[in-house]
Amino acid sequence: MSNDLLYIVANVMEVQVSQIDDESGPETIESWDSFRGLILFEELESKFSMKFTLNELLNIKKIKDIKNILSVRGASLNG
Amino acid sequence: MQSQVEPNLSYFIAKAQSIKGRTFQKKIKVAILSSFTINGLEEALRVKCAESDITCSTYICGYGQYNQDIFDQSSKLYEFSPDITFVIIDTRTVMSTLFYSPYATPVNDRRSYIDKRVADFANLIRTFKNRTDSKLVLTNCSIPTYSPYGICEGKSEYGLKEMVYDFNAKLSDAFRSDPQVFIFDFSSFVSKYGEVNVLDYRQLLVGDIKVSLSHIPHLAEELMGYVKANLGVNRKCIVLDLDNTLWGGIIGEDGFDRIDLSLKPPGMAFVEFQRVLLALYQRGIILAINSRNNEDEALRAIREHPYMVLREENFATMKINWNDKISNMKEIAEELNIGLESIAYFDDDPINRELMLKAIPQIMTVNLPDDPSLYASALMRINDFNTLTVTSEDRNRGEMYKQEQKRIVLKNSASNLGDFLKQLEIRVTMKKANGFTIPRIAQLTLKTNQFNLTTRRYQEEDVQMFAHDQTKWVGCAQTMDKFGDNGITGVYIVNKNYAEKEWIIDTFLLSCRVMGRGIEDVMLGYILSKAKEVGVEKVKAEFIPTKKNKPCEQLLPNFGFKKEGEQWVYSYHVPIKQTSHIELNED
Repeated sequence: MSNDLLYIVANVMEVQVSQIDDESGPETIESWDSFRGLILFEELESKFSMKFTLNELLNIKKIKDIKNILSVRGASLNG
Repeated sequence: MQSQVEPNLSYFIAKAQSIKGRTFQKKIKVAILSSFTINGLEEALRVKCAESDITCSTYICGYGQYNQDIFDQSSKLYEFSPDITFVIIDTRTVMSTLFYSPYATPVNDRRSYIDKRVADFANLIRTFKNRTDSKLVLTNCSIPTYSPYGICEGKSEYGLKEMVYDFNAKLSDAFRSDPQVFIFDFSSFVSKYGEVNVLDYRQLLVGDIKVSLSHIPHLAEELMGYVKANLGVNRKCIVLDLDNTLWGGIIGEDGFDRIDLSLKPPGMAFVEFQRVLLALYQRGIILAINSRNNEDEALRAIREHPYMVLREENFATMKINWNDKISNMKEIAEELNIGLESIAYFDDDPINRELMLKAIPQIMTVNLPDDPSLYASALMRINDFNTLTVTSEDRNRGEMYKQEQKRIVLKNSASNLGDFLKQLEIRVTMKKANGFTIPRIAQLTLKTNQFNLTTRRYQEEDVQMFAHDQTKWVGCAQTMDKFGDNGITGVYIVNKNYAEKEWIIDTFLLSCRVMGRGIEDVMLGYILSKAKEVGVEKVKAEFIPTKKNKPCEQLLPNFGFKKEGEQWVYSYHVPIKQTSHIELNED
């Protein structure tokens, strides 16, 4: 899952996978604006067959937050 | 070109970046005006245009600024001068507080509210039309799926849903016969993908996004129908395989009685597919067959099988043989005189599709699903058969191609070309531009490539304007022969300069369907005679060469036109060429 997550983030934000870590987010990735943020969440939802709540969407600040939400929802973090 | 499933929006955002600054063969300027946030649509449209070899430049109006953009004469919108303007509105904006509390307002006020809104939009569009020639595509409103009245909604007079239905109906009525304005059925779009998918409440709340980002590519795909039709880029012909495409099983192995084609499943899937094909045939799409089979067995099924929907007369040509499908395809294009880029190809076999895609990439090779029950919906999803109007020529096209087959038989039996032309008994009627002929005249200027002296493209509104212009003469030629009516196949537009006693031919074209029969000679002779009657001393014309218009290269010199600089000039120094095998009438 971790790889899938990073790949999707890299793809949506148009950056290299190697540029992304747990601390990456709108603060560190220039292209990560609110529009691309919404595209990212939508593509993650379709990849992991889950839905973020509105509060989750509003509070995601870094990759780590996404990982936490995904693991709480039962998406496996192996890989 | 292969039709495929819609990629995610992120694909379009990235691709739009990478094609920036690149130019393609055709050009279009698109303006997007919207009552809500519609980020991503611009990128999706640009990428889809690029994939169809179109350079698309865009103008996006500021958030919710569409009224200002249209009413302000000096707005950036008019400065941009678009070819097509999309105005995308939504039910919440149109209905305002009535969307949430419809029944707090008395029924008569609800009625007058809708009438007022329709009048507002009609006024907005009138203003727009006064200031630009751009086509305008206005969305209608999606019908609300919820009503506070619940199951009593249908019992209430002029309730919420009826209000929106009425708004949509009145909007369509107001612009039905206006060639510049189109209503995009956004309500159908929402039905097709489902309101729960098209509207994402989180995106609505976070960013006033009323078409979810996952559905922006689908919306762009639908809007491309207008872009392509405006440029005359469309598929005119569907070429079909037979086994496992028009029927289930293999006729040569399973036999006449055993192929799947019936009113029960699984055979019904093929009946359903054929019904959709028949409707496309009736709107003017040409059908043809390209199949590796024993011809007699396949023909028997086509002619006699009780559940065939399409019959021999629906196919403009049938290549049923053991030749390779690529050669067959080239022959079909040649015989029907259509470009490879106007063909869509249906074949169940992925290997055949792969071969076709490699050999002739211009053809749209449709990625047919493995499951035949999905064939009909795959066909209905294709948005490439659009034209801006459906003319009577379109509706009769299938019949015309059938007549053409008879002409070919005659041509092969005649001893020489002159003999053949005489036996055809061609009659040409020259007609004026009027309400009936103008849509077809515009259509011919938009799509005729081969026999077209100047390849000037004109929209219906342009032709309408020319027709009322005293300094211009717009006309067309209807051709008939003993096999039937070819409809309007020739167009000319002449600029009349009486001060100089000269006429200048702006446009002269002939549909490729009737090339090589002397009709062009009758038309040009007619123009020259008319000019002479009113004392014109010189008729000037141009030949602007393109990749495709070589067939008309010799027209002017053959008539005795002399080249003077960029122009060709005829000054009545030689008699006007006569064409004896054609009867000429005026209407």
